[in-house]
Amino acid sequence: MSYSDKVIDHYNNPRNVGSMDKSSADVGTGLVGAPECGDVMKLQIKVNPATNVIEEAKFKTFGCGSAIASSSLATEWVKGKTVDEALSIKNMDIVKELSLPPVKIHCSVLAEDAIRAAIGDWKKKQESAKPVAVEAR
Amino acid sequence: MATQGESTHSCWSCGAMRAAHFCEACGKVQPPAPADYFAFFGLPRKLNLDVAALEKDFYELSRKLHPDLNARTDKREQEWSLEQSSLLNDAYRTLKDPIRRTQYLLQLEGVELEEQSKAATEKARATGEAKKQIVPPDLLEEVFDLNMQLEELRMHKKMGEDDPALIEEIGRQKLELEEKRQALLNELQADWKTWDGLIGREQAGQLVSEDERKQARDKMVDLLNRRNYIRNLVRDVNEALEN
Repeated sequence: MSYSDKVIDHYNNPRNVGSMDKSSADVGTGLVGAPECGDVMKLQIKVNPATNVIEEAKFKTFGCGSAIASSSLATEWVKGKTVDEALSIKNMDIVKELSLPPVKIHCSVLAEDAIRAAIGDWKKKQESAKPVAVEAR
Repeated sequence: MATQGESTHSCWSCGAMRAAHFCEACGKVQPPAPADYFAFFGLPRKLNLDVAALEKDFYELSRKLHPDLNARTDKREQEWSLEQSSLLNDAYRTLKDPIRRTQYLLQLEGVELEEQSKAATEKARATGEAKKQIVPPDLLEEVFDLNMQLEELRMHKKMGEDDPALIEEIGRQKLELEEKRQALLNELQADWKTWDGLIGREQAGQLVSEDERKQARDKMVDLLNRRNYIRNLVRDVNEALEN
């Protein structure tokens, strides 16, 4: 099996590698894994509280080239989108963009999971922050 | 399910005989019947199996099925013994290994790991609920953190720097991983017992519900998933420490 040019490009020049402060209120963290191959992927988003726009995204993935490329692409795609827009990204969009072969589809599933998990984490933080804000007033 | 040894196949050579791999009467090799690896050895789909007995069976069958042994006989028999031999090798390799045996059984039972994961993602997409990760979050954290340390170690080594504290820390985690791996194997044996109990009840003509089967299967799926991570980590740790 050979990787597509786009996968190789993301693999050699991964976009947005790194991490943000997990405890920050406007950062959502998703840590997910693909047990079939033992990959693990962490994706973080930083959301503007006023607009719900994802202003920054970081990832770190330990896994194969396709998993790295999928998560790298995912961070590119979520940036500039609102949280709700980002939720509409489907794994098959990633498969198409990167021309992933069938055996690597689970990598794209992982990337979608990571986006959802990060947004889920962020949403949870917003909900638990609300009562505190009311009390502060 | 009837095991292969009990099913009736007539011998192509002398006809109307009860045989699986050979005709019992004339000893000719039979065309491979569509059989799973358990059935190939005439075994029930139980996971706790006598590996020594399996090995003995394997050697005996390899001798009898060996293509060279049948070289001078019927051309069909040559082909069949070749096919049977390759089936035999695959079956033996799969069944003798505890992990591969378990994976194979789950596959036979219709468990599609990747399909399950994809279906769960689609459900999360449709309902907006969080997808339950197949592997416990604390294990994922551990895998991630250790991978970060390994990356650091590789960087240090690349730069020619020594980091004895990090090496010691990773070495300590390696021991922990090996203990975990052993613990998982022990846990697997307990899961086998549960599964074999169900098969035993079925063999005794008792009813086993699909729920019970599913529970027993899910436990093994869960265990194999965790084991994948541990196995990869042990491999990566060894690589990082050696190089």
